[in-house]
Amino acid sequence: MSKGLDNLKHIVVLMMENRSFDHMLGGLKQGFPKINGLTGNESNPDSAGNVVKVSPTADYRGQLSHDPDHHFPGVDVQIYGGAAFAPGRVANMQGFVKSYGTQGANVQDSHAIMEYFTPDKIPVLTTLATEYAVFNGWFASIPGPTICNRAFAHYGTSFGNVDMNMFLVPDAVRQKIPTIYERLEAGGHSAKLYYYDQPSSTMEIVNLIKDQSMFGVFSDFMADCKSGKLPQYSFVEPNYTDHPGPGGGQLLANDQHPDHHVLAGDNFIASVYNAIRINPDLWQSTVLLIVYDEHGGLYDHVVPPACPKDGFKAAEAATGVPGLTFEFDRLGIRVPAILVSPYIARGTVIPGTENPAKQRIFEHACIPATVSRHFLNGTDAGTPREQQALTFLDESIVGNNLRPDDDCVFFNM
Amino acid sequence: MAQQFAKTVNVLKFDENEAYDHDRPISSLVRTQLLHLHQAEHIRVPEKERTNININDLQTERQASEYIAKVTRLLHKHGKAAKKLKPRKSAKKKAAARGSGKTKQSKSAPKKRTSRK
Repeated sequence: MSKGLDNLKHIVVLMMENRSFDHMLGGLKQGFPKINGLTGNESNPDSAGNVVKVSPTADYRGQLSHDPDHHFPGVDVQIYGGAAFAPGRVANMQGFVKSYGTQGANVQDSHAIMEYFTPDKIPVLTTLATEYAVFNGWFASIPGPTICNRAFAHYGTSFGNVDMNMFLVPDAVRQKIPTIYERLEAGGHSAKLYYYDQPSSTMEIVNLIKDQSMFGVFSDFMADCKSGKLPQYSFVEPNYTDHPGPGGGQLLANDQHPDHHVLAGDNFIASVYNAIRINPDLWQSTVLLIVYDEHGGLYDHVVPPACPKDGFKAAEAATGVPGLTFEFDRLGIRVPAILVSPYIARGTVIPGTENPAKQRIFEHACIPATVSRHFLNGTDAGTPREQQALTFLDESIVGNNLRPDDDCVFFNM
Repeated sequence: MAQQFAKTVNVLKFDENEAYDHDRPISSLVRTQLLHLHQAEHIRVPEKERTNININDLQTERQASEYIAKVTRLLHKHGKAAKKLKPRKSAKKKAAARGSGKTKQSKSAPKKRTSRK
């Protein structure tokens, strides 16, 4: 075990909302060729047959007239270019503009789905991606929306759901597969899910009615970082709505879900990072994973790879794609994922599908798999997806060398 | 302090007043959150304490967040952890109650409690 892993006492996961890898980090390829971003020549056809190239003109808000489709049938169009289901059809990532164009956007507006940020526009995310480790091959667990994808981070499965109906999973089914928080607690370890505040609450409502002791709010997270009382595993949720603050002020949504202000999220990421960074003991004994739940309908050029089945099957009626039942054997679209620790070398890029010989494919089931392997020593097997999942904690990523304190960035808020 | 020595990067400032819009229509994600919380309210919160808010009337982020906060508070109040804090009957009193045939299920208590483990 490397010194970095040997020292590791805390894993923190911050899961943001609905942005693809290329949309947020694709612009980094120009300065960092190993990062599998955009060349500038990637394109999609629009409904009039025009070629629409990717464009470095993404704005913080107001650019997307509709919330881009990221439900299963819409993502199917995005991945397969709108080709009807048939055995052997080929994924080509040519249906993003087409999909957005069917949502009421006019032909010109539908091009917005191909826009991406230049690195200078989101300095926190892009700085962390280049200062620590970025995953070229971290994908959503399902080509579908938020709730089923977040479920993979908590349970290692979505119990056969490809939609937002996780709440409807029968108790008898759900009780067979506990959350990573319950598994850690059963093993004598500490874990907490920090939602932003009560007006934002959590997306993990299934557990809100089961066990409130596993929940905290963001101010608790900040206090726990300061006092050194952070649990071994923490999962942080952003603020999902603009709403008044407790003292009458205004709190901006910082989840980056379109059409929330992207900089509010960038600054929120900085506040989570700084809270860990400023406490020297915590900084040296923590890894922070920043990851997005799914792509939110925004363009990415990498075809999602096949993956091991997880033992469930979604019927044709659930997928909404004529003729298609889904056995959870293909991942969703690629999302930004960044791992932070002072034991990670600057500029670490973990290869994805662009390097078949060295590729390492990650998805959200890697989160409970990694946490369980690190803290429970692999004593609980987890779901079939988890059993096949890679860990993001190994010696090739979190190594022996502790970077000097003045070599690790701090954000001026 | 660590930050005195570390290299620093400025976060980008923006006009938060201009960005803030609590009258923004809620997304499908927040709509789903409302539905799930509504179901949770009916599972966990006693009828007399429920909000009786029709979630279909909630259209903006502010309206949604007010409901979300109310139900989240209620779920914490009536959750399993809150129940754990209730003083338990001593074994002696339980035995006495059994002997006198006084043990009864509370009408408001759930018939079956789910186990976390």
